[in-house]
Amino acid sequence: MGTTKRKSVLVLVTLSIHALLLAGCWDRTELNDLAIITAAGLDLTEDHQLELSVKIYLTSPSSSSQQMGGTSGPDKGAAGLSVVRSAVGLNMADAASRLQQLLSRRMFWGQDEVFVFGERLAKEGLAEPMEFLTRHYAPRERANVFVSKGAAKDVLLLNPPIERSVADMLREMSKSQTGLNVKMKELAQMMAGRAKAAVVPLVEIESEQENPTSFPLIRGTAVLKNGKMVGSVNDRATRGIMWLRNEIKEGTLTISPNNTKGYVSIQLLRAHTELIPHIQGDEWSITVRINARDDIVENTTDLDLSNPKHIKKLETELGYDMKQRTDMALAKAQKELNADIFRFADAFYRKYPKKWNENKDRWDDIFPKVKVKLEANPKISRPGLTGKNLFKPNQR
Amino acid sequence: MLRGKRRPPANDGLQVNNPQPQIGFSENLNETLQLLQAVYADCTDVIFHEFFIGERTKAVLIYIDGLTHIEEVDQHVLAPLQQDFPQEHTLPNIRKKIAVSSIKDVQSVDDVIAEISGGNPVLFMEGENRGLSLGLSKFEKRSIEEPTAESVLRGPREGFIETLRSNTALLRRKVRSPNLKIKSLNLGTYSGTAVAIAYIEGIAAPELVEEVMSRLRRIENDGLLASAYIEEFIEDNPASPFPQVLSTERPDVASAYLLEGHVVIIADGTPSVLIAPVTFFSLLQSPEDYYERYVVGSAIRWLRYLFFAISLLGPSLYVAVLSFHQEMIPTTLLLTVAQSREQVPFPALVEAVLMESMFEALREAGARLPKQIGSAVSIVGALVIGQAAIAAGIVSAPMVMVVAITGIASFMAPRFTVGIAIRLLRFPMMFLAGFLGFLGLILGIIVILNHLLTLRSFGVPYLSPLAPMKSRELKDVLLRVPRWMANTRPHLTGEWNPYRQAPGQRPRPPKGNNGG
Repeated sequence: MGTTKRKSVLVLVTLSIHALLLAGCWDRTELNDLAIITAAGLDLTEDHQLELSVKIYLTSPSSSSQQMGGTSGPDKGAAGLSVVRSAVGLNMADAASRLQQLLSRRMFWGQDEVFVFGERLAKEGLAEPMEFLTRHYAPRERANVFVSKGAAKDVLLLNPPIERSVADMLREMSKSQTGLNVKMKELAQMMAGRAKAAVVPLVEIESEQENPTSFPLIRGTAVLKNGKMVGSVNDRATRGIMWLRNEIKEGTLTISPNNTKGYVSIQLLRAHTELIPHIQGDEWSITVRINARDDIVENTTDLDLSNPKHIKKLETELGYDMKQRTDMALAKAQKELNADIFRFADAFYRKYPKKWNENKDRWDDIFPKVKVKLEANPKISRPGLTGKNLFKPNQR
Repeated sequence: MLRGKRRPPANDGLQVNNPQPQIGFSENLNETLQLLQAVYADCTDVIFHEFFIGERTKAVLIYIDGLTHIEEVDQHVLAPLQQDFPQEHTLPNIRKKIAVSSIKDVQSVDDVIAEISGGNPVLFMEGENRGLSLGLSKFEKRSIEEPTAESVLRGPREGFIETLRSNTALLRRKVRSPNLKIKSLNLGTYSGTAVAIAYIEGIAAPELVEEVMSRLRRIENDGLLASAYIEEFIEDNPASPFPQVLSTERPDVASAYLLEGHVVIIADGTPSVLIAPVTFFSLLQSPEDYYERYVVGSAIRWLRYLFFAISLLGPSLYVAVLSFHQEMIPTTLLLTVAQSREQVPFPALVEAVLMESMFEALREAGARLPKQIGSAVSIVGALVIGQAAIAAGIVSAPMVMVVAITGIASFMAPRFTVGIAIRLLRFPMMFLAGFLGFLGLILGIIVILNHLLTLRSFGVPYLSPLAPMKSRELKDVLLRVPRWMANTRPHLTGEWNPYRQAPGQRPRPPKGNNGG
């Protein structure tokens, strides 16, 4: 009895070792066999095919960093640590497999944190490439997405001086919250959401004289409606969009109060935007309540900020400034583009689900007519270390 | 069991050539002498010293040269006996003459052999069928030193030595109560090693003591040269890589375990004593934890747990991430690692196994070599596996770092036996990670955890008090609570004497403002 048990244990151990050895390694990819993609760009070619460009990080220091032929960018930047390769295909998967043929190493999407869509492609529609990017297991849902003015490939070809690669630069810039920070998952949610409208930060190439160190810049926002880019808004209106979308996290506002010369600059500590929808009869309206807390960081006016009266006055002025910004964004979205990029649709749906379902097909008609009332409550919590301006003796 | 192996008959080495052990000696001294000289034939170290008591009665003193205090024998035994004395020459009278504190009657050959082997000279005289054993053993022994394997900063510096009696004395000096019981037995047919178990009556469960005794009595072998021999005979699961008894060279550690109801097994000839039962977490405790203040003790304990995990999983995590889950680590880190791995010809698994076995070889070589050469080995090794290997492009720099961190982590195990178990398990974990990635890693962890959960040491679950959960006892596992909070003892098996101290001893300043 003892021997049979021992025998069966032995057999089991041998079998499990074999199972391990036979099954093992099928999924293993050595780091040396990967082409690590740090950024990908998608463009539309003249004959309406998809061009996929990827920025591949060069892990071997010795390998020559030749650029892809044809649209070779600034060749001086070849000392950079990445190369760009591109391939044309019928759709995203086709282009990706064609691109793989150009590479000796396996494409690795797992660390790709930046996707840039060319403007032409964005105008044609992002639904197709987004289908691949959301379905395939490899691309990250938390990768940043951008729309480039001009070809996306040109953005990838840049070698900006500060960061290791253009991907790092774009990612860090969108993280710094001066513009929108849109991840792929959010873009998919916006595109498939109730409003069918989406915002994507717009990338421009800023070239300094003679072009040695041109670098990408996030400037403004591309507005998508039903997956297609319908227009763009400028930087200042983008801030308005961010206020309305409750995405403002930090920032500095500079206002020039009435009846005085100079400026007061205010740093944002905290901001929260609340959308309160109302439906009365046929009139749809929404109240936007913005609560913000700020610090004063600079005061070149002759206002004495240790005086609560002046603080009150500043708060009113601030509220006015915020209203201006949001109005600009609203006007653009409601009147010009008719794209609900502020998620008003969701707000209405949450409060009036039945009404929404009845009217959801008419949303494009309703949205331009939605009355927006802004309640801005900026609170200045700290006037800074000094009360009066120390260098202006005759302050009021 | 139907296995047809017959046990060989026990061959009692100490009683070899002994025809009739039960029969006593004759009153004829010559017969006695012949008998014993036959027993100790060809033993040149056994001295048969013949002399006359009071110049009349023939007597013989038998002892082993080197185990007996000869000056004492001369001064307190031979000198008074060889003087003439008028009383009748009987054993009781002789006994009065000898100025030795410990005198025993010996009646059988067994007794004589035991006494002589223990270093006590035995005196026989004409006309008596008994002998006298004189407690004058003295042999060379090491002085009490600090145990180098378990050094502490603040605790006591004394350590056990090879002599059983000194070790029991060290314990008795720490636990003076007569409830500290020390039971003895001799094991090993040829070595006749004296083994003692110590426990505190009223704290240790009687069943536990009985179990330890019965497991010890079961041992039948030719010689127990070290306490590690005993460990292998009495542990619960001999196939496990984890130690199921704790060995220590520190009397303070042994006493602390005695006070928690454990049993200490001391074997003559080894400075490390065995403590049973033991749990996994007690193997991760260092005496220093209790000699530092409790905040520091707890923090260091957590650090130890962390590095315990690293020493088990460090290289396998690295291998799994590098060969399966490249998306799991931050981009910049991956790019740096990828760059450093570019020239490396091996897959990550091979690299890791290569480096880890190199490190183990280096450690073993350094430990075995004489101290003077040991340092040379470590220098060469550091150069070879560190600098040169990277420069030659055989391994990558991050791998060397992982190996180094793992090495340091494994040295953090306070008990060498646990450290080596973990180091051993690291290798199958690496293979699992190399074959199946995180899946394999988790499988390996499940297997190890499963094994630990089934393991017992003398009936105590190995992972207690975490599994089975005993929340009261976690005070010495998750934390090292201050002394005044540790009011209860952990419960091992059987009877339990729960309270170790009075409650409410938290020190605080006196109340009221007298004298302000």
